[in-house]
Amino acid sequence: MSGFFKLLARNRLALGGLIVMVAVVLLSLLTPLLPLANPDVIDTANRFKLPLEGTALLGTDHLGRDLLSRLLWGTRLSLAVGFVAAAVAATLGATIGIVAGFYGGKTDNIIMRGVDMLMAFPYILLALAIVAALGPGLMNALIAVSAVNIPFFARNIRGVTVGIAHKEFVDAARLSGMGDLRIIATEVLPNVIPVIVIAISTTVGWMILETAGLSFLGLGSQPPQADLGSMLGEARSALITNPNTSIIPGAMILIIVMAINLLGDGVRDALDPRLKSGALSRPMPATRVDRKAPIPTASDDALLALRDLHTQFHVKGRVYKAVGGVDLSVRPGECLGIIGESGSGKSVTALSVMGLVASPPGVITGGAVYYQGQDLVGAPYETLRRLRGDSVAYIFQDPQATLHPLYTIGDQLIEAVRVHHPKGKAEARAHAIDLLKSVRIPNAEDRINSYPHELSGGMRQRVGIAMALANDPEVIIADEPTTALDVTVQAQILSLLDDLRRERGLAIIFITHDFGVVAQLCDRVAVMYAGRIVEEGPTEAILNTAAHPYTARLMACVPELGGGRRRLAAIPGLPPGVDQLGIGCAFADRCDKVQPACRAADIPLAPLRPGQKVRCIHPEPARPEAVA
Amino acid sequence: MAGYIIKRLLSAIPVLLGISIIVFVIMAMIPGDPATAILGSYATPENVEKLNRDLGLDQPMIQRYFIWLGNMLHGDFGRSFSLNRAVLDEVLERFNATLVLAGTAFVICSLLGVAAGVISAARQFGLADKLITFVVLLGISIPSFFLGMMMILIFAVDLRWFPVSGMWPIYGDRDFTALIRHLTLPAIALAVVAAGVIARLSRSAMLEVLRQDFIRTARAKGVHERSVIWRHALRAAMVTIIPVLGIQAGFVLSGAVYIEIVFQWPGVGRMLVDAILTRDILLVQGGVVIVAACYVMFNIVVDVAQSLLDPRIKT
Repeated sequence: MSGFFKLLARNRLALGGLIVMVAVVLLSLLTPLLPLANPDVIDTANRFKLPLEGTALLGTDHLGRDLLSRLLWGTRLSLAVGFVAAAVAATLGATIGIVAGFYGGKTDNIIMRGVDMLMAFPYILLALAIVAALGPGLMNALIAVSAVNIPFFARNIRGVTVGIAHKEFVDAARLSGMGDLRIIATEVLPNVIPVIVIAISTTVGWMILETAGLSFLGLGSQPPQADLGSMLGEARSALITNPNTSIIPGAMILIIVMAINLLGDGVRDALDPRLKSGALSRPMPATRVDRKAPIPTASDDALLALRDLHTQFHVKGRVYKAVGGVDLSVRPGECLGIIGESGSGKSVTALSVMGLVASPPGVITGGAVYYQGQDLVGAPYETLRRLRGDSVAYIFQDPQATLHPLYTIGDQLIEAVRVHHPKGKAEARAHAIDLLKSVRIPNAEDRINSYPHELSGGMRQRVGIAMALANDPEVIIADEPTTALDVTVQAQILSLLDDLRRERGLAIIFITHDFGVVAQLCDRVAVMYAGRIVEEGPTEAILNTAAHPYTARLMACVPELGGGRRRLAAIPGLPPGVDQLGIGCAFADRCDKVQPACRAADIPLAPLRPGQKVRCIHPEPARPEAVA
Repeated sequence: MAGYIIKRLLSAIPVLLGISIIVFVIMAMIPGDPATAILGSYATPENVEKLNRDLGLDQPMIQRYFIWLGNMLHGDFGRSFSLNRAVLDEVLERFNATLVLAGTAFVICSLLGVAAGVISAARQFGLADKLITFVVLLGISIPSFFLGMMMILIFAVDLRWFPVSGMWPIYGDRDFTALIRHLTLPAIALAVVAAGVIARLSRSAMLEVLRQDFIRTARAKGVHERSVIWRHALRAAMVTIIPVLGIQAGFVLSGAVYIEIVFQWPGVGRMLVDAILTRDILLVQGGVVIVAACYVMFNIVVDVAQSLLDPRIKT
């Protein structure tokens, strides 16, 4: 509860709304005690006095009544009616919703049908019909406004209740012999109260507006009693000659409803778990770059080279060092594998290349990415955009989520071509069909009109590859493109990529956690752990003579067909959180060869054997028999 | 597609029946002798007798409902006693004016609301976002009748850009320009609240979509950011936005009542308020049923639009 108020207080706008609301409520509670003129005393000699003219602070209305007094009494009435209407609608709506959601089945069906019928009415029309039947009057307006809001509460609360009614703790309560009423009161109600509060906070403003509206139409409070709406309604006939009599009650309604809405937004943000994490922020077109250290220079003639790349996530004052200084490079026609556990930073490394790390919260804090000698990290957005997909293309994992669900695959392929190469629609379409054929999609001419949901997982992945190939890129970065697929499809896709590399001289960066895939496709491998490369070298050398204890342990986890009675050794412990990395080796806590020196200082990635580099001061000896 | 439309039309039948039942039940809440209550100040002995005969008011509730329903299906909604005119004729004539007003307002609020929401999301936390968020908050907090009155003061009385009220000039031609001049202020006043609600929901729908993986794919393809926002993201967000537009259509249609009063617009809302104040119950009843039925039909249009937009919906 105190957390809730803290969150609310942090939201300055909501706090402002709260302060205004408290002031208005206090004022209307104190109204009977204040030395105000009688709001209903008519004094036609003093009609339409302006504010501060004469004795009345805010002037007088068309009958010479004191406007300040009428305003405060009217506010009191409007607030009371609005809050009572909200309370009635919430109580009845919640009851209906809980009953429907808790009992389900036929009860639910009948109730929700009725609710749907009520919701099929245009909102205010229903209120008008009710007032028509009951006759004009403030009480009847209150009934009408709460009645039309009941369906909204019922539907929302039913939704939450259905979710709760099937939870284990409710079953447990039932098994322990508790009655329905007690289960609802002790198990269901506490869980739906936040939803009720959110629903009230978003609708009470509406209800005040609606009651004011009915009064404005002359269907609510009847003279001489006046709420804010009927004050406005009465003042309307003198709108042009004496606008202040209209502006005063109108502005009051605006202030009250605005304060309630601000407060309501704050309450919702504080109570809704989805919004609590502040996760609803959009990623910018390119990852934010904030490099403090000097920028490393391009050192060799590689096609694509990452130099001391640092990418971090800044979330609520914590810094997650997802990539902590990575050096990598690929040459044309070469395939580089990046291997590591989930969370080791391999995907973030790959996405950093083209500035595709979601930002916020991602920030590239150091290093450089050289493509043909040009630094992409510091490049302006337009340069980056021109290279994306045209020179450096991505293949992502899980094409179900990575293809746009509402465009045909043809449209998506054609777009990929046309965004870089202005071609006619027909020409681009023919090219798209060729692309689909090149990834061996049968009936490409028909398939091009399919939507992603109409294809199988393997087909979608091929579409993803076709899209990456659309502009004949120099580099393809494939982020676990086969993880979601079954083994036969996986093999097909790997051989497809391998062919393309040989035919087109593609450079491929292949990210995976699967040594089998690495062995099949990659020339070189880099092993990542906690955001850094711990070992790098030719595939053969790494697979046969892994030097870093982590690589060795990782390979010992891989079961092998016909591998005999070898024990599968899981690595004890978990990878360290990248927000609390110490100095020294990140693997030290899980390593059985750990020495004090391992934790003393930063360990460089040092050459060990020709082509093989390792970040370890006690590398494993070459033991060819270990993988035999 | 044709099959889907027919299916949706058939599914509207129980909803329409439900609406008629609800209206009937509400009207049955009127206390006292029905005929006298319905006729109110028009309860002359002849009228009472005629109404009793027409509506079968001496019969049990269930029978009365079916008589009423049968009459409606024959296009007989009864007679307005205050206007001495068939309810259907009066409602249809008034409904035209309301449709012009509410239809224009709906177009304005949809375009403005969605555009504001998209821009707000695309520039999240930027100046445009803050500005739009503030204007939207103001828009959803101001009573439309108060806004209308202030617009009359500023744009009609002070600046004299638009006429103060009415749908047509009292003297002069009833042509299109005259209509636009009379329509501008009320349509905007009516659109503002709905535009605010639509903008809010569009913004959050867009923010939700912009975090999806397929947006990253579009960016990885090198698609222009403008196109990422307005093509890729908006298309996906429309799936969430369109039902909201449907709901807001109901608000605009029924909220027109305030604007019709403020701007003296000869619409069905003003007719209903007058009918309620003169206790012309049959006119209220007919007006409510007809407007609600039109809204149900409009929601079918919304559903069909939704199915055209989202190929994943089985048609």
